[in-house]
Amino acid sequence: MSQTTAYQNHKTATQSSSTHTTKTSTAALLFGAVMMVFLSGCGTDETNVSKGNETGTLHWGNGTEPQSLDPHIATGVPEHHIISSIMEGLVTKDSTTLEPKPGVAESWEISEDGRVYTFHLRHDARWSNGDPHTAEDYVWSWWRALQPALGSLYAYMYYAIDNAQEYYEGTITDFEQVGVKALDEHTLQVTLENPTPYFLQLLDHYSLFPVHRPTLEKFGAPDERGTRWTYEGNIVTNGPFQLTEWQINRRVVVERNPYYWDRDTVRLNKIIFYPTENAVSEERMFRSGQLHYTNDIPADKIPVYKESGDPTLEIAPYLGTYFYRINTNLAHLKDPRVRRALAMTIDREQITERITKAGQIPTYALTPPGTMGYYPPSDLSFDPEAARKLLAEAGYPNGEGFPVTEILYNTNEGHRKIAVAIQQMWNKYLNIEIQLLNQEWKVYLDSESAGDYQISRASWIGDYVDPNSFLDMFLCGGGNNRTGWCNEEFDRLILDEAPTAKTHAKRLEIFTQAETILLADLPIIPIFTYTSKHLVSPAIKNKGTNLLDQTMYKEIYLESDSGSNGGDN
Amino acid sequence: MDASIEKIDEAGSSLWQDAWVKLRKNRLAICGLVVLLLLGLVSLLTPWIAPYGYEEQNLILGASPPSAEHWLGTDIFGRDMLTRIMYGGRVSLTVGLIATAVALMIGVLWGATAGFVGGRVDAVMMRLVDILYALPFMIFIVLLMVVFGRNIFLLFFAIGAVEWLTMARIVRGQVMTLRKQEFVEAAYSLGLSQWTIIRRHIIPNTLGPVIVYTTLTIPSVMLLEAFLSFLGLGIQPPQSSWGLLISYGVETMEEFPWLLIFPGLTLSITLFALNFLGDGLRDALDPRTSKD
Repeated sequence: MSQTTAYQNHKTATQSSSTHTTKTSTAALLFGAVMMVFLSGCGTDETNVSKGNETGTLHWGNGTEPQSLDPHIATGVPEHHIISSIMEGLVTKDSTTLEPKPGVAESWEISEDGRVYTFHLRHDARWSNGDPHTAEDYVWSWWRALQPALGSLYAYMYYAIDNAQEYYEGTITDFEQVGVKALDEHTLQVTLENPTPYFLQLLDHYSLFPVHRPTLEKFGAPDERGTRWTYEGNIVTNGPFQLTEWQINRRVVVERNPYYWDRDTVRLNKIIFYPTENAVSEERMFRSGQLHYTNDIPADKIPVYKESGDPTLEIAPYLGTYFYRINTNLAHLKDPRVRRALAMTIDREQITERITKAGQIPTYALTPPGTMGYYPPSDLSFDPEAARKLLAEAGYPNGEGFPVTEILYNTNEGHRKIAVAIQQMWNKYLNIEIQLLNQEWKVYLDSESAGDYQISRASWIGDYVDPNSFLDMFLCGGGNNRTGWCNEEFDRLILDEAPTAKTHAKRLEIFTQAETILLADLPIIPIFTYTSKHLVSPAIKNKGTNLLDQTMYKEIYLESDSGSNGGDN
Repeated sequence: MDASIEKIDEAGSSLWQDAWVKLRKNRLAICGLVVLLLLGLVSLLTPWIAPYGYEEQNLILGASPPSAEHWLGTDIFGRDMLTRIMYGGRVSLTVGLIATAVALMIGVLWGATAGFVGGRVDAVMMRLVDILYALPFMIFIVLLMVVFGRNIFLLFFAIGAVEWLTMARIVRGQVMTLRKQEFVEAAYSLGLSQWTIIRRHIIPNTLGPVIVYTTLTIPSVMLLEAFLSFLGLGIQPPQSSWGLLISYGVETMEEFPWLLIFPGLTLSITLFALNFLGDGLRDALDPRTSKD
């Protein structure tokens, strides 16, 4: 799933018309108190939640408007929620332990050497229009995802498969040579380049999900971006739900897919995803019974919820890192000493204790500690004195001559607060001038991918529980690298050494070497390890919590007599 | 009606002198004026008299309620609220002043010309206003920002350039009714030039609604600035303005009410002062109420 928009209060700016928003903000400003009374008042009547509990409709705060519902193009967490409800991979996972569970494939065999996987697809697997779902769908979908013209930022997820990288980079042009074959209608054979311990987990990632060939071909070339195939009424998917309504910036509605193979397990009738960019109003929506689940909680509310022991507050460990990307192509940020100086003057304890407040852990490395027993190396620390020296060595004594530098972040209250704190820390300790620039989620993603930024707020959530999910992001030219940083030794360790390591310990050692290289150069500045934090209505049942903060929507059900949300706060 | 013409020709006391005499008698208006002058003075002197730096953080302190060291408390970064409000006032008052002046100038000239000349010119000019009305204002501002870069004075100007439309319509309506009135015809028959008529008779008579509308424009301009800044198009942290302080304050009003109350109070006082002064000015300047 990758990057989250969310992290704390998203403030802002629903993208409605300006007058509307201006009016809303005026109203909010002047009549805030009145509004509160009004909102808490309507919690007692029929609400979304109480009605939803009766009808099996889940109201889900989803953070932001999805960038795309095309699984080979999307890269964010909000997109992941919707996609994982309407699509399914060969394998799914347990909602608590994250162990692989049969999805479209009802069983599979792994060869002795761990390189050949044979998947047996369900005979009753269907697309949401009733079409049979076959092994050929995977061969075609993966061919499509590897088309360079499509520009999938996640193409490197395929590199575990034999010859996939070579095909993507154009050194071979015959897709036949890539290690994926449909042996018959219901048998798919995948050959890997090396035994890859996390391969089954990869299959539950949307970048390896199948897409419906006739639909794509109907609306344009398969490798064309942004065609209308993902729109409501057009899209055909294979998951427990299907898209029935998509109103930009208002809501995305998915309803039960009658052709889904496991339809008897699915208990919800409908899920409505709301683009709740502003965590403050999201929290109010939750309290007034309009949402079952919030994407986020405003940082300043967390202590209040904790004190009152509110059971709806759910804070859990989360396999994700909050960091800043640095555009290493820029003259003044090219020097690793400058980047190190920047990294050494962020007082992370202050940020996690005073600003984010949800138990986040300060970090000086990219990979969250403890991922599959891996503890990342780091010789970084908070040391303004040494940082000033480094900056002077790099030619900016006391910050003199250092150009005004801009921090880019996606419009969100939490990101802003962190950026304001860091802006001041850099100004205070290094005497350099920093400006802040915020952009809406989609624009921000585009700017970052295009390298049109100086320093950019970023985050990465593990796509699977393995250090590789973090480290392979920074391969030379990788779609999610975006820093311009490139190190051949690092690439060699990640692509050649780690996959062929004989033992787990050896593999971790190689990751340590790779991460040491990354952290010596610091194209990124790690800031803290995430925690996931949500308000969850007591009516939601059977929603496991896990390290990836992923939800198996097909297992969730709602219980109507569980009372209302939150109570008073 | 003839009285007004005579009065001007006599040059005994001009409209402005009259207005000042009347304004002085209006205690509320004078209070408003004094408050505004004070605010302006404080804003001017802020860099010298502010107790702290506006960007000075003290994360360990965090959001603290009013105390002896920080009279109005501190925000979540431990920054002194009094200082933030003082610096915010500089931005807000400047925005209010410049943007409103721009809107006033364009709007009055445009509306008066359209209304006075009438006919085809009027039709073309007002259709242009209609078109600009229909243009989504956000797109317009974003375009301006993209073309000219982010610049605070450009922002002031852009807001003014958007706000003049309503002003133009109001003035045009006023002028159209005035143009047909007997005293204007009388002025014509006395052989006054068109320009003199506009200046001496038409514009003074439109002052009432214009002043009222201006006092309404200033607060909306200030809020607009907050909204744009919030979207990343206006001023950027660590700078601040009243509108921004309020919109941040709203978010935490349950936990840290003082972050909303003090900037809110300051803005309200300013707006009250503006309204009282505007009211007083309207009474004082309207020639139709000046027959005592």
